[in-house]
Amino acid sequence: MPRKTPESFLPLKSNWLHILISLAGGEKHGYAIMQDVLERSGGKVRLWPATLYGSLKRLMGNGLIVESGERPAPEFDDARRRYYNLTPLGRRVLSLESQRLRDLVGVLDAERRQEARS
Amino acid sequence: MKCRVIGCSRMYRRLARAFPHEFRMVCGDGLEQLGADIVPLVWREQGVLGLVRCFGDLALHLPLEYLSTWAGKFKEFIMTDDLFEGTWKANNEKSQWDPNYTPEQACLRIEATDEGYLLVAYGIKDGQAVAERPTSIIADGRRRPIVDLNGRPMPGVPPGALAFGIRPDPHTIEAGAEVDGEVLGRGTYRVSDDGQTLTVTTEGMGLKGPFKTVAVFERVVPDPYVPQG
Repeated sequence: MPRKTPESFLPLKSNWLHILISLAGGEKHGYAIMQDVLERSGGKVRLWPATLYGSLKRLMGNGLIVESGERPAPEFDDARRRYYNLTPLGRRVLSLESQRLRDLVGVLDAERRQEARS
Repeated sequence: MKCRVIGCSRMYRRLARAFPHEFRMVCGDGLEQLGADIVPLVWREQGVLGLVRCFGDLALHLPLEYLSTWAGKFKEFIMTDDLFEGTWKANNEKSQWDPNYTPEQACLRIEATDEGYLLVAYGIKDGQAVAERPTSIIADGRRRPIVDLNGRPMPGVPPGALAFGIRPDPHTIEAGAEVDGEVLGRGTYRVSDDGQTLTVTTEGMGLKGPFKTVAVFERVVPDPYVPQG
C-alpha cells in the first residue's frame, strides 16, 4: 500500500479543516475546539460532540493530530480532559489546504476583475 | 425545566457510553463530558431543537462508529499477515549505526498485541550476547506513562516521561518518548512495500550522548518463532 502523502488528504473535509485551524493556534481539548470553531465561524458551524470526537479519532488515525502529553496544572483545568495537538504532517496538510483555497479565491478574483473590465 | 435538562444529560451520558470500546479507547470519556457540558448550554440557546440536533448527532454516529469498528476488524481478519510482525535481522552493510551503538549482529522480534506491538531487540555486541528490555508501541496517537510490561515504572526513565506513537500510514509507525513536552528520543519504523525490509531510524539522547542510527532489517523467513507445519 503506498504511503499517504499530505496531498492525498486534499481537499480536506470541512470538519477536519475547522479542527486543524483551531489546533494551529496551539493544543486544545474537545470543548475548547468546539467553542473555537463556533466563534471563528460566527456561530454558523457547531461541531456536535459525536461529530467532533469522530473527526478527532480519524485525524489521530491518519497521523494529522496527536494527543498531547502536557497537561495544565489540575487547579487550572479538569485533569480528565484530553488535549490534542497538530503533528508535522497535520501542519503540512493544513498549509497545503490553505494554499489550495487561496488559489481558488485567486481564480475567482481574476474572473471578477475580467468581468468588471468587459 | 431543570429536571428535563438533567434527564437529557443522563440520557446523553447513557447513549455516549454505548459507543464502541475502540472509539472510547481513543476519545476517553470526552464524548460524555462534552455532552454534559453542552446539553444545558444548548437548551438555553436553542431549546428543544438544539437538543434534538445534539441527540440526532449521537444517534447518527453511533451506528456509523460500530460499522467503522466492524469494518476495521474485518479488514484485520482478511489481512493474511501483519506487516510488522515477525523476526527481522539487521543488514549491517546497509545500516548506519551510531559509533557508540554498533552491534555485530542485531535482531528485532515484533509481535502484534491487542493494542499495538511488542518489540524485543537482541543481538551480539562486543562479542557478547545482549538483549534489550521488551518494549511496547501503541500507535494510537495517545501519550502514556512509560512502564514495564507489568505496569511498573522502569529504572532509568525520568519521572513524568511519556511514550507516544502514531501510524501515519499502514507501512509506518512513529514512536518515541518525551518529558515535559521535550522529546527524549524517537524512532520511525517503516516496512517496505514488498514487506521484506524494515528500516528503523532512531535518534535521541543516550547515556553516551546524542545518537542517530538508521538500521535496515531484513525479514527472517521462515520465522524461527513460528512452528513450521
